[in-house]
Amino acid sequence: MKWTIDRVIEIIKAKFGKYIKDMYRPMANQVIIVMDKSAAPKATLFLLKEAGVPEPQLSTVVGTDERPIRGMFSIIYWVSVNAEGGDAWIGIKTYLHEDDLKIESITPLHPGANWYEREIRDLLGIIPVNHPDPRRLVLPDDFPKNIYPLRKEYDYRSKPTVTPRHVFKRPAEGTVIVPFGPYHAACDEPYHFRLYVKGEEIVDADYRGFYNHRGIEKLAESRLTYNQIPFIAERICGICGFVHSTAYCQAVENAMGIDVPERARYIRTIMLEIERIESHLLWIGIACHLAGFDTGFMHAWRIREKDMWLAERLTGNRKTYGLNVIGGVRRDILEYRKSLALNTLSELKREYKEFVDMLSSTKSFIKRCEGVGVLPYNKAVAYSTTGPTARGSGRRIDVRKDHPYAAYGELDFKVPVYKDGDVLARAMVRIDEVWESIWIIEQALDKLPGGPLRAEIKRIEPYREALSYDEAPRGENVHYVMLGRGNKVYRWKVRAPTYNNLPAVPEMLKGYTIADAPLIIASIDPCFSCTERVLVIDVRTGEKKAYTEREFNYLSIRKSRR
Amino acid sequence: MIMRLVSLCVAIVIALVFPLIFDGIGRKIKARIQYRMGPPIFQTIYDVSKLLKTPYLVSGGLMFILAPCIAFASALASITMLPVGGISPISFSYDIFVFLYVEAMVSISLMLAGFSVQNIYANAGANRETMLILSTEPILGVALAMLALLTKRLSIEGIAYTIGVIDYRLLPLVLIAYMMLVYIVYIEGGFIPFDLTEAETEILGGPLCEYSGRLLALFKWALLIKRFTLIWLLASLITIPSVAPAFSRINTVFSYILVLLFQLFIALVLYCSIVANEAFTARYKIDHVISLNKRVFLVSIIFFIVIAVLTL
Repeated sequence: MKWTIDRVIEIIKAKFGKYIKDMYRPMANQVIIVMDKSAAPKATLFLLKEAGVPEPQLSTVVGTDERPIRGMFSIIYWVSVNAEGGDAWIGIKTYLHEDDLKIESITPLHPGANWYEREIRDLLGIIPVNHPDPRRLVLPDDFPKNIYPLRKEYDYRSKPTVTPRHVFKRPAEGTVIVPFGPYHAACDEPYHFRLYVKGEEIVDADYRGFYNHRGIEKLAESRLTYNQIPFIAERICGICGFVHSTAYCQAVENAMGIDVPERARYIRTIMLEIERIESHLLWIGIACHLAGFDTGFMHAWRIREKDMWLAERLTGNRKTYGLNVIGGVRRDILEYRKSLALNTLSELKREYKEFVDMLSSTKSFIKRCEGVGVLPYNKAVAYSTTGPTARGSGRRIDVRKDHPYAAYGELDFKVPVYKDGDVLARAMVRIDEVWESIWIIEQALDKLPGGPLRAEIKRIEPYREALSYDEAPRGENVHYVMLGRGNKVYRWKVRAPTYNNLPAVPEMLKGYTIADAPLIIASIDPCFSCTERVLVIDVRTGEKKAYTEREFNYLSIRKSRR
Repeated sequence: MIMRLVSLCVAIVIALVFPLIFDGIGRKIKARIQYRMGPPIFQTIYDVSKLLKTPYLVSGGLMFILAPCIAFASALASITMLPVGGISPISFSYDIFVFLYVEAMVSISLMLAGFSVQNIYANAGANRETMLILSTEPILGVALAMLALLTKRLSIEGIAYTIGVIDYRLLPLVLIAYMMLVYIVYIEGGFIPFDLTEAETEILGGPLCEYSGRLLALFKWALLIKRFTLIWLLASLITIPSVAPAFSRINTVFSYILVLLFQLFIALVLYCSIVANEAFTARYKIDHVISLNKRVFLVSIIFFIVIAVLTL
């Protein structure tokens, strides 16, 4: 029997009926149930652990400062139903009064909530009681106390300068610390894993990151208009930016009740898949490079170039396509471009097949990936991992199938799932997905309907909220939007897939060697810039000198002059 | 005597220049396999000469500075024991043992360099190098011992010349010893998949990660010379038995030059094929290499016993 949203509501009503204060449906497949503070964490855990929902997933936790509207703070735990068991998103919401900002932590029973609760503690000051990790996550450890950047009274321009300092776990007896980052040949972005090592074997690992906050959410709430945000959303990530702008636009469209024209939905689908091919090929290349197999690296990126070229022809840009606006897309895919795209894809297919054959016949590469960094199914569920990381561990979840968006409901494709949970399984998921992506693009181009590109925005009703989601190359990407007044969003919460996958990496590292570490970390295809998007502070230097734009321009011109 | 002196000069010139050129050729070949333009053939020479002009930072004790010098000297010394143009510059009976030691000194100084600094990556690299030479040197020893037993000679020059006139029934055994040598040359040369001492994407260059400027240049150069020496050993053992007796009937100088050119040619062919193979492999982990070495060592010991029984 399918898990319809009504069925889930019935189950919750039966168990927590007396605690429910309010209930509303922002969308047909979304419900927000407002509960007592004491019951909300329990209801979330019930949904995740006991309700018997197929592949339940703690998709995001949104904390909002709703004092200007209701005089209180709010938290919504969003749990999704997956594995094609039904299209339902259940938001368990609770209000907290300013005098009593405490809520029972769910991390001890569901480790996947670890980061969400720490982030809310850092940015809003809502304290998860009994949380196992007292350290800060997003803010530096010496950020001034009692200043919470996501509260509405905090001005987005204020920058309390601090000297960065990060507190790490104590190493176990007899272990040596191997610092992996913030700068390392295998780091494509600054992040810091601490490996506690005996000989070459990793006994324990710790992660401290968030070196790159750009404060995008705060920036959006404070000074950007609805239609400016897609462009900054696209810049959340340099590799999978389009999924962010799509998810944001869909969230706003959902909240405003806009029906996106069919053609626009298809164009979005095509670009999302072009982006997925590009991202997966990039990843395969990097994995080869980390294993010392540079020929694979070069060829993967050479083939990827075809895809980038196609993106440029279709949108004008190799990356950050700048295509999405609320209500649809800005550019059309013209009729004569279709054959161009199909030809490029057939060339890509041929070269990709040769490449995959070469890769699978390189025994030393397979040997490096096989049986390394195993993430068993139960751990993958406990950490709410998503995307290829989850599918490599046997979780049958894919937003495109489970909660169809854009045009995915009308297209045919398979979701590759592997059960081994090692680096090779995650690689195989990605390799197979490229084939599916090509197939999706071919279908979408074939079926591309006519009609307008963009729907009109009629009325913006403030404080309506909605969730939106899409399947990024790295997994489920969830955006939550609460509309605001004055052409601005009230709250925009981004949850990129790496946010869910990264906390599981220390689990994957334990028991393997330093030689495996770069490959294991890379195997989730981490995207740190996606994960770290929350705050405007110069964490790098903490220096007090502030350059004006003019000084800054002058410096950069002087530097580049010869 | 004069020929040996000339040979010494030639050996040193070859050892200084050709490893760099070979590396450049190797880079070009790999680039072509990867559909890239690749750097110019002399790029490694430019790199080393630029590094030689740059100052260096000292991050360890005296050993930190001595290690690259010892490595460089040992690498140069080891090639002088090999036949160059059919004549070994330094040759005496039992020089086979000296060659083994001198050759190992390069690895040992790399280890010492790694342990002389307080850097976890350098230490990890040194650890790997230790495990690597402890598991590979015995195989090199057994392979050379097999050849020594077959030819009843203990100098490399002697071995090379005697193989040319060996009883043809023993040739399969000679071939097996050669195959062992190829395996060793590949590992000791630090070619992928055995480049785990440096392994830049894992441990940032291992023992080399604290080195800079002149000292780094010296170390890199020494490692390239070592690589070249090992290939030269193989090239000599192929060239001299096959062509040297024929050429020696002609004028000495002429034959010297011809044999030298042949050696260079064979070395280049060997180098290129190794590099091409390198382009299609990923790096092994240390436990892969150790288990592989164990198996090869076991096989080599069995063949050694067979040879010992047959020849003694």
